Amino acid sequence: MEINQPAKLNFFYILLDFINKCKSAMTIVIGFEGSANKIGVGIIRNGEVLSNPRRTYITPPGQGFMPSDTARHHRAVILSILKEALEQAGLKPADIDCVAYTKGPGMGAPLVTVAIVARTVAQLWGKPLLGVNHCIGHIEMGRLITKANNPTVLYVSGGNTQVIAYSERRYRIFGETIDIAVGNCLDRFARVIKISNDPSPGYNIEQMAKKGSHYVELPYTVKGMDVSFSGILSYLEDAADKLLSSGQCTAEDLCFSLQETVFSMLVEITERAMAHCGSQEVLIVGGVGCNLRLQEMMGVMCKERGAKLFATDERFCIDNGAMIAQAGWEMFRSGQVTALEDSWITQRYRTDEVEVTWRD
Amino acid sequence: SSLDVPFPSSREANIALRSLSPDREPRKGGISKELTVSGSTRWSADEARILRVSVDSFLDHLLLVLETMEMFGSPVSQ
Repeated sequence: MEINQPAKLNFFYILLDFINKCKSAMTIVIGFEGSANKIGVGIIRNGEVLSNPRRTYITPPGQGFMPSDTARHHRAVILSILKEALEQAGLKPADIDCVAYTKGPGMGAPLVTVAIVARTVAQLWGKPLLGVNHCIGHIEMGRLITKANNPTVLYVSGGNTQVIAYSERRYRIFGETIDIAVGNCLDRFARVIKISNDPSPGYNIEQMAKKGSHYVELPYTVKGMDVSFSGILSYLEDAADKLLSSGQCTAEDLCFSLQETVFSMLVEITERAMAHCGSQEVLIVGGVGCNLRLQEMMGVMCKERGAKLFATDERFCIDNGAMIAQAGWEMFRSGQVTALEDSWITQRYRTDEVEVTWRD
Repeated sequence: SSLDVPFPSSREANIALRSLSPDREPRKGGISKELTVSGSTRWSADEARILRVSVDSFLDHLLLVLETMEMFGSPVSQ
């Protein structure tokens, strides 16, 4: 059937109008993250990650990262990463609807450096600002990528270890570490035996653990719904040299034994929370969530309970800007905004302090 | 004593002020800082050492604001 010329032109205009209407329902959020040694800027448009560049501040083996050095690292690269994020997304500042940044928790000096840039561009571009809770950034990114419905969340990283479940407008903490994060335990153990921090100490421990075979008995500390890692760390700080030099075990055996022990502890408290909530889904988020052995062990527990396990890959489980953009997208669409006077950063920021206005 | 920082316009000075003022001083006691939009800053501190660190980091952050403004254009007129 031949459509005549005027009809074709009409159709073209109708299509153009439709596309423009769709675009106006699109919300584009840029997110800035730099609470630890990763600095990232990401852009999200209605659940689509348009760009997510990131850099990591890596220290020599045996050394951790200090706040002022980390802030200096972030300061040196943040503007070029921001430029990269816009270029990779093919966007101009005018296209952005909202500027999100990590309000906390995390290390003070790096948080300030990143917040300053976010505040400045928000004012330069005339866009609203949104302070995001770092933990909630992880959760919302995990939910977006995996499409998990209402999971029990295990949030494990160098700075945090929490078991979280959503209930009545709050991400409630069901269990957590009473001292250090599991990632912190792994990172500091890596320093004891001088494992490289490139690309991350946890990744290198994981690779070495695969070659370990002899299980060394280590302290296992679960207290009800909570866990403790400082005991196992101080035990290893004392005993590692003796164990290795006496030939009782190899460094690979220690990596293997440490993983088996701490991951079992995490599986136990996750299962306890699941039983409490009657949950059939587990979502692992945070840098330690990249660990395939942890995913494997959690998977075994889930299979036994007939539950589903969800996890993301290193692009999204390791700190990144897009996760802040995603949480910011949810918050912004549900009507939240942060006034400049209230945009101060904070090193302590509980996950359950935030009102989750974007869920029922 | 006070520190005077010149800006191309009061709009840019305002942006810098609002980017630099929200965060509290990391040290609880011993230092306080007062920023005003005329582009000048006034510090008062109990110890010279604390003052030096605070001024150091303030200038560093101010430089970051200026670099950001340089790279990402002139402010949008509302």
